[in-house]
This record gives sequence, C-alpha cells and structure tokens, in this order.
Amino acid sequence: MQRRQNAQAAVMLAPATGLISVFVFVPMLLTIWLSFQAWSTQTGFETARFVGVQNFIDIFSNSSIGRDFKAALLNTAAYTALSVVIILPLSVLLGLLVHQKLAPGGIFLRTVLFATYMVPMIAVALVFSKLYSPTEGPLNQILGWIGIPAQSWLSSPQTALWSIVLLNVWQQIGYFTVLATAGLTQIPDALHEAARIDGAGPLQRFFTITLPLLGNTLLFSAVIAIINSVQVFEPVALITQGGPVNATNVLTYHIRRVGIERAQGGLGSAMAVTLMLSLIVAIAALFAFARSRAVKP
Amino acid sequence: MTAAAFADTRPLERPHLRVTPGRTALVLLIIVIAVVAAFPLAWMILTSLKTPQETMQVPPVWLPATPSLDAYEKVAGVVNLGRSMFNSAVIALITTAGIVVTSLMAGYAFAKYQFRFRDPLFAILIATMFLPPIVTLIPLYRIVGYLGLNASLAGVVIPNLANAFGIFLMRQFIRGVPDELIEAARVDGASELRVLFQIIAPSVLPAIAALTLFAFVYHWNSYLWPLTVLQGNTDAYPIVISLSRLLSYNRGAMNTGLVMAGATLAVLPPVILFVLLQRFFVDSVVASGVKG
Repeated sequence: MQRRQNAQAAVMLAPATGLISVFVFVPMLLTIWLSFQAWSTQTGFETARFVGVQNFIDIFSNSSIGRDFKAALLNTAAYTALSVVIILPLSVLLGLLVHQKLAPGGIFLRTVLFATYMVPMIAVALVFSKLYSPTEGPLNQILGWIGIPAQSWLSSPQTALWSIVLLNVWQQIGYFTVLATAGLTQIPDALHEAARIDGAGPLQRFFTITLPLLGNTLLFSAVIAIINSVQVFEPVALITQGGPVNATNVLTYHIRRVGIERAQGGLGSAMAVTLMLSLIVAIAALFAFARSRAVKP
Repeated sequence: MTAAAFADTRPLERPHLRVTPGRTALVLLIIVIAVVAAFPLAWMILTSLKTPQETMQVPPVWLPATPSLDAYEKVAGVVNLGRSMFNSAVIALITTAGIVVTSLMAGYAFAKYQFRFRDPLFAILIATMFLPPIVTLIPLYRIVGYLGLNASLAGVVIPNLANAFGIFLMRQFIRGVPDELIEAARVDGASELRVLFQIIAPSVLPAIAALTLFAFVYHWNSYLWPLTVLQGNTDAYPIVISLSRLLSYNRGAMNTGLVMAGATLAVLPPVILFVLLQRFFVDSVVASGVKG
C-alpha cells in the first residue's frame, strides 16, 4: 500500500513540483550562482565567468554602481518600513469598524476597501499621477480648501517616496483589513464580556484583550506587507523612473534595470541575493520581536 | 459597489438599531472613509468623461459639463484595445485554469496520501510563496529564452501554471473531505484522477472558486513579468502594458481623459468579478491568514 501511494503521489505532484522546480527553484539557485559570475543577460549561461565576490564588492563600493544600489536598498527599506508602520495600525482600526455590530455599514466598508485591492497597480499609478499633479490635480485643490499649502508630491525628492507609500497603502489596505477582521472574529466575545463586568473600559479592553490576541494575525500581516512592499514596481517604472534624484529608485525597479535592460546579469543577481538575505534577516527579526512580546496563555 | 454590500450573505444582526449619537457618528465615519477610499476610482471615471479642455483646467473641474464617451473612442485608435483585452483574457484564463488543475492534484497528494518526504517537500514548496518575483527574474528570463518562449504569450503563461498559494489553499480544504467518501469511490474502482475530479473537486467548490478569482485577478493585473518577457512584441501586450504606453503617448497630446478611459476599461474586469463574488475572495484571504 505504501509503495502504491508513493507512486500515486508522484503522479499527482509531478505537474506542480515540475513547474515550480523549473521556474522557481532552478532560477533561484541560478541567481545565487550568477551572483558570483561576470555574465551578460543577453548571452547563454555558459559564457558566465567566475569572479568571486567581486559583484558584491562593486554593489557596495563608492562607484556609481554602488551608490545607486545602496540608494535603492535604503529607499526600499524606508518604503517598506513606512508601509508596514502605516498599514498595520490602520488595518486594525478599519478592521474594528468592519467587525463592530453597533452601527450598520461594516460590510459595505469592507466591500469598498477590498475593491481597491483588485485594481491593477498600473491603473492605480496612472490615476494617482493625475491626482498628485501639482496644478491640475484635485489633491492640492482639496488641501487648499482647508488651508494647507500645495505639495509637490511626486516631483520633489523630499515627498516622492512618501507619495508612493500613500498610493500603495490606498491599494493594499483592504486586503489587510480583511485579515484583521478575520483575526478579530477569532477573539471570543466572552472575554470582552468578562472584562466589561470587571469594569474595564473600551480602551483598556482593546489594549489588554484585543491587541494581544491579534498578535499572530499582525505577525502574518507584517510578513505579507514586507514581501508586498519590496515588490513595488509599477508607479516607479511608469511615473518617476526612480527619480527625482534617485528618491524613488527601489530594488525591484533597479534590479530589473541593471539585470535586464543593461544586461548586467551578474551584478543584478548579486543585488537580488542581497535583497533575499535582507528579507530573511528582516523577517527573522520580526519573528524574534513577536516571540519576545508573545502573551503566555 | 453598493450592490455587493447587499449581495453579501452574512445575516444582518439586530436589524432595528435605535438611533443614538454614538451610532450616528460611527455611520458618518464609515461613510467618510468609504468616500476617501472610492475617490481615486471616481476621479478616474469622471475624468474619462471630460473634454480634453476640462482635464487641463486649473483649478481642476470635478464634474464634466456634458459627459462624453469621446475618450473611449479615441483610446481604441491609439492602442489596439480589443487585441490587448483579448491577450489579457487569454493570459489570465489559461494561467488560472493551469493553477487550479495543478493545485488540486498536488493539494490532494499532500492532504490525503502518505509518502516519503511529504512534510519537508510541502514546507519547501510553501516557502516559495514568500519569494519576491524579482529574485528569480534575471535567470528566468534566460530560461524562457532557452525554451524558445520569449516575446510570446506562452512565455507569459507557462512559468505561472503552478504556484504555492494554490497548493496550500487546496490542501487546507481537501483535508476536510471525509476519507470514507474517497474510499467508497476507490472501492467502486474509480481511478485516482477520477476520485479527484469527480468526488473531491465538487466538494471543495468554494475553495476552487476563491482560487480561480484570485488567480484571475492577479494575472490580469500582473505587469513585471509580461513586460520583461514580451519585449517589443506589441501584438502580445496585455491591457496593463498597453495602458502604460498610453501615458507616453499622452505626454505629447496632453489628453488625460484618454489615459483615464483606458484605465477604466482595464479596471472593470477584475473589479466586476470581485463585486459579483466578493464572499469567495474574503473566504480565501481568511483561509490563508487564519488556518495557516
């Protein structure tokens, strides 16, 4: 029986594991291998020439290659941190609004928020480029009504990255609100009831019951938000091309520019490996942080 | 979008709420947030109906004086709209069909078979869910070249015919199918593929619906991979890439309405699908977040 199941399992698994091997695992191993090679993306893998850690030295050097890459790495880190720091608390607040039964409209709110998550990022980028337009855009007009001076949004190095974070939050928040709402539904009403009888106010109950019990949901949300954030590409490729003055040059855009458009496959792969290692470190740190604060049942 | 709120099957609890200041404030807050969230899309649609002059006015005008569909007619003249929508549909539909089949098969094996290295293999596959596509983009581009798939729709579709999220989702749901049901079919002499597609698939239909919708929307919207693999083959461009070309056209012609008309058309299929089948989307997000 066991042998028969091994054979059947192989048949069932063959299509998925075959495809994922050829199009995910093999490329991932090749990325690592290529990061130690000098290689033009326009040629076959056989033309790759081993150069040790030279690619890594180059991307962290003070040459223009190094400066651009380090700027992209820092921009990506800032973009990711800002996105996570805004998305997580906002998703809990909106989740509470969707979850509450005091007033009607929760499901309606979820529908509107989640619908934006379905919009292609390229359309989001197009629309926001018009919303942000300093003169013809409605955002500066609205700010003017409430007495806030016009902003330069995407056209100034100080505000460009923030503007893309805002656009990203708008597009993604519905997904994270649904996750937060799912987490909230898992918390037994009896806990709140008991705390209320003991005289705990709504704020106190939020911080002693709701937030600690949302821990796992928030950890999952943070991991997904990080992974999603490093993938930001469309607004940069379409509107800013990494500018002004490298302010929105992020890794997905930069790695593609170096590795595909300039065909510097070795350098691009070293950058991709660095990104992968940074992600592993960031997520490991996140788990360590979550464990140190976990509530003991 | 309001229609979907009513289509939701969640029962309304306490249908007769008394009007209190707190309740009114909450409802107002919900309305304000919904307006802010819907504003960019509303602006997109309104702008697509404006005249070119109206789109350039300072300060901006919010409502077109006489809404017109001119921009929609013109956009079809600038890019091959029908072809692009068709390409997007082909990419999204074939990829989705592939993902559903490969995920059902692998999910069945992981949920119901005993075999060597099952758990480590599953763990390794699931880990790829957290791998940003850019990490593998450079060698993948070359591998697809080796396979002779560059600049073709096949090159866009084939690398995406299986994914970890689908396997994960199917395994979660197939685990809940009673073993007796499967055994009964096997005793009747059904082959394993028959068991999977005639017994198991119908009983995990909601999960299949969720996966179908998620995969369709994801691949309708995806931009980085098609852009990389299709190079200059404009005949194979999906709508999202044609849209990005509209913007460069727009720089000279200054016709924002045109761009917004194109964006509206690209947004419609995924958003309509979502509004119709919102419950499945929500369920699958919950399944991926909570059950994991």
